[in-house]
Amino acid sequence: MNSLLEQFLSEARDFLQGIGEKLMQLESDPTSNELMVELFRFVHTLKGNSGLFDFPEMTRVLHASEDLMDAVRNGRVNYSQKLADQLLDAMDFVGMLMDEIEATEKISNKHAAPAAELTKALRNLLTASEAGSESSEIDDILNEITQTQVAENSIDWESLPTLNLPEDIAEQLHAHSLRGDSVFWVEYTPEADSFFKGEDPFYLIRQVPDTEWRNVVLNSTVENLAEMDVFNSVASYQVLTHAPAEELEDLFRYIPDEHRRIEIPALAFVKPSGNTDEHAVDEDFIANVFALFDKDETEEVTRTINTMLELSAPDLWSSSALRWVLRLIEREPENKAAQRALLESLRTLQSPDWSELKPVEVIATIAPPVRNAVVSTSNGSNGVVDEKMQYFNEVINAQREILNLSGFNEGRLKSVGASLIGCYKSIGRSQDVDSLELAIKNSLVENSQDLLLKWLDHSLENAPELVVAEKIAAPVNNLAMQNDVKFGRRAEDAAGRKADEPNAVTASKTLKVDQEKIDRLMNLIGEMVVAKNALPYLAARAETVFGVRDLSREIKAQYAVINRVAEEMQDTIMQVRMLPVSFIFQRFPRMVRDISRKLGKEVDLVLEGESTEADKNIIEALSDPLIHIVRNSLDHGLEQPDVRIAAGKNGTGKLLIRASQESDRVLIEIIDDGKGINPEVIKHKAYEKGLIDEATMERISDQDAVNLVFAAGFSTADVISDLSGRGVGMDVVRSAVEKVNGTVGIESEVGKGTRLYLSLPLSMAVTNVMIIQSNKQIFGVPMDMVVETVRVPRVHIQSIKQKQTTVLRGRIVPLLPLNDLLASNMPQLPNENDEFATLIVRVHGEHVGILVDDFRETVDIILKPMTGILGGLGGYSGAALLGDGSVLMVLNPRELM
Amino acid sequence: MAIEFKKSLAVFTEFVSVEEAETLLEWLLKNPKGKINLADCTHIHASSLQVLMAFKPTIVHEPQDADLAIWLKAALAS
Repeated sequence: MNSLLEQFLSEARDFLQGIGEKLMQLESDPTSNELMVELFRFVHTLKGNSGLFDFPEMTRVLHASEDLMDAVRNGRVNYSQKLADQLLDAMDFVGMLMDEIEATEKISNKHAAPAAELTKALRNLLTASEAGSESSEIDDILNEITQTQVAENSIDWESLPTLNLPEDIAEQLHAHSLRGDSVFWVEYTPEADSFFKGEDPFYLIRQVPDTEWRNVVLNSTVENLAEMDVFNSVASYQVLTHAPAEELEDLFRYIPDEHRRIEIPALAFVKPSGNTDEHAVDEDFIANVFALFDKDETEEVTRTINTMLELSAPDLWSSSALRWVLRLIEREPENKAAQRALLESLRTLQSPDWSELKPVEVIATIAPPVRNAVVSTSNGSNGVVDEKMQYFNEVINAQREILNLSGFNEGRLKSVGASLIGCYKSIGRSQDVDSLELAIKNSLVENSQDLLLKWLDHSLENAPELVVAEKIAAPVNNLAMQNDVKFGRRAEDAAGRKADEPNAVTASKTLKVDQEKIDRLMNLIGEMVVAKNALPYLAARAETVFGVRDLSREIKAQYAVINRVAEEMQDTIMQVRMLPVSFIFQRFPRMVRDISRKLGKEVDLVLEGESTEADKNIIEALSDPLIHIVRNSLDHGLEQPDVRIAAGKNGTGKLLIRASQESDRVLIEIIDDGKGINPEVIKHKAYEKGLIDEATMERISDQDAVNLVFAAGFSTADVISDLSGRGVGMDVVRSAVEKVNGTVGIESEVGKGTRLYLSLPLSMAVTNVMIIQSNKQIFGVPMDMVVETVRVPRVHIQSIKQKQTTVLRGRIVPLLPLNDLLASNMPQLPNENDEFATLIVRVHGEHVGILVDDFRETVDIILKPMTGILGGLGGYSGAALLGDGSVLMVLNPRELM
Repeated sequence: MAIEFKKSLAVFTEFVSVEEAETLLEWLLKNPKGKINLADCTHIHASSLQVLMAFKPTIVHEPQDADLAIWLKAALAS
């Protein structure tokens, strides 16, 4: 997961929590404008952030919430309980999406529909309230949502598009549908301005997989061809496909409002077509077939129909109908009602109205699996038997609803009867079947379904276990409830998933820890490093003092293990403290924009290496100096556009801030292409302010002159502005950087620009020092200052003006005996070859040699700054505890010289 | 250009983009009896498709691209 996304998730959770809290507070104080504004701000920011990623569902819902909150904030919509509920629902949804993003880094396309619903509900709340007739319109919305659900879950024959398909295609789709592949009707009507959004609706619709049939229609006839606007989308695209619903969701996820998807039931394809002018089949034939059909002599029926088909022209409507009868017999042998209806249609030459058959069809083939989902979650712990009873009850309830429909219909009654018989058989209550059959027969005789209904009620009353189960199942039929259940279910699903799979961590993975705790951890690991360092001493003692070499070896082996673990721990803790420099870089674009506006300059800011990381303390210590440097560059470095153009440069100045890592240091460069620093001007200014004397002014090099900007009290600006020029300038930058063991440098070329660079350690927790020996004492010198160690023979040391120097690789290096620096009046001791151990250190960019008596090892130490009276000793940067318990004084060569 | 306009024939090749729609419209207005050769065409942007649907010009060669061919047939039949 990339860090941006991580940060988004972590922030978004805070926002969600904030939104929840604010909504709660609003409940008790619904008039508070302040709360409202804050709430809006939360939603607004969250939406903006979500837009950075490809989460259309999330952004859409948040956008709708934002619009709603905006309206509330401006008093266009009144805050209400309903509104709060809706918003909370939306936020729950967003929270759920975030769980999913955290687990999978993407949002599954199955959320597109709920997102669209939520958006619609939120938007409707907006328009409803604005129109002033809140409640009734909300009811409409609810109804609408309910209806969408119905369309998804069962068949609403009236909403089905009229299909006029060629028989071969219809036949194939029918087969697909019966095989269990859902066949979808997809209608896509792009918005008129969709071409301007770079969309190609035709291309999109062509991407629909497994298309069996397609059509394009112009929504309005083009009256005047000459005035046709080619950039206005006026077409509707329709396809029939048996592609999986998820694939379709995915394809259309960005345009949920512009497309309509309806699942087409198998029977809808059974629609004979052809020439109706001729009657190839006469009543005799039809009667004959019916007679065979009623006797269930399927083979005879098939044979008779085949014979008829051979005799009649294939393009007749009746031939088509007969072919369909054959297909139904073959594919849906149980669906006698459908077959009968189709045979019936031979008399009228009108396609059967399948909605008449709806009850049987719906309950037998489609309803159970859909409802199953709802039931099994509301009552999921029950066993298989209970589940079976649930189904049983659903079917029975549905049948009873059908029986309650007004008007008598023979076919309907028969199919209800067949379903009931099947149901009772399936739960092993065959003893009831006989009486059931009798009830059906009587009902048919009396042309009334009441008898069957009575039987059903009676049967259920005598079987209490069925009734109990029925009560559980009852709410399922309530569609409004189903709607609610869906939301609840989602939450349950999520919870269930968590419990089921311990690996699927949906909880937030980011911890917010008090920095003090990390610091404590850091100190502890520091002490651990020191304690660890005691082991080699112990090993040495075991060998030299007690003469147990084996023990010594074992201690060393143990030390290696502890060393490895400690180093890893130290690394990990350091990483915890690491922050990317973007933490301070992110404020620059705004700052540069504001300042450059104020100064009337045009600046192009470029940030590089924002992901470079360093310790939190270092990053924080950098913040102020960097701001100062950037201000300086803008104020003194870059020129006004007209001056730049006159100088042959681009009118827009360039300011580059670059961070990079160089071994264990972070390098930050601030480069501008401005007028640069003129050393002559600096020299004179410095002289005027008394920072240098006349002699120095004469002989100082240009680079040294430029470096004078770091001197305390230096300022070049003639006029003090609110930006710079108070004389508190680069010296502050320098001391701030040096405080964290960093260095700062400047290079400048007149007319070309200035480059300022800061070099900082990655971390300041553990310092690597070299131990040296001088005058029988040991001292530490920070490794980052040490350039090299050499042994200089006495003969190579020359005296220039009473100062010792030597030539090292063609460079004159001044040599300073450490004993002199520490004022201990002892000569440095050479080794047996009369060579002096010399530590070459870098001080302010110069190489200086420090003569010592001998070099020792390097160690990692926790440098503790000295306090109290000792704190005033500039020559030492601190003290540390060594593994053997002794105290090591760490020198600060910079101050020492 | 993915459409080559000849005297009374427009030859579509490969991917006909949204830019072509306006030119196609003008050409069809000028040549109401203009014919279209789609043999080497693989896709037509919806804008150009609408123009074809509005004018219903004679197609002298159907696209070799089978899917596009079926689509066009449906579009121009209605």
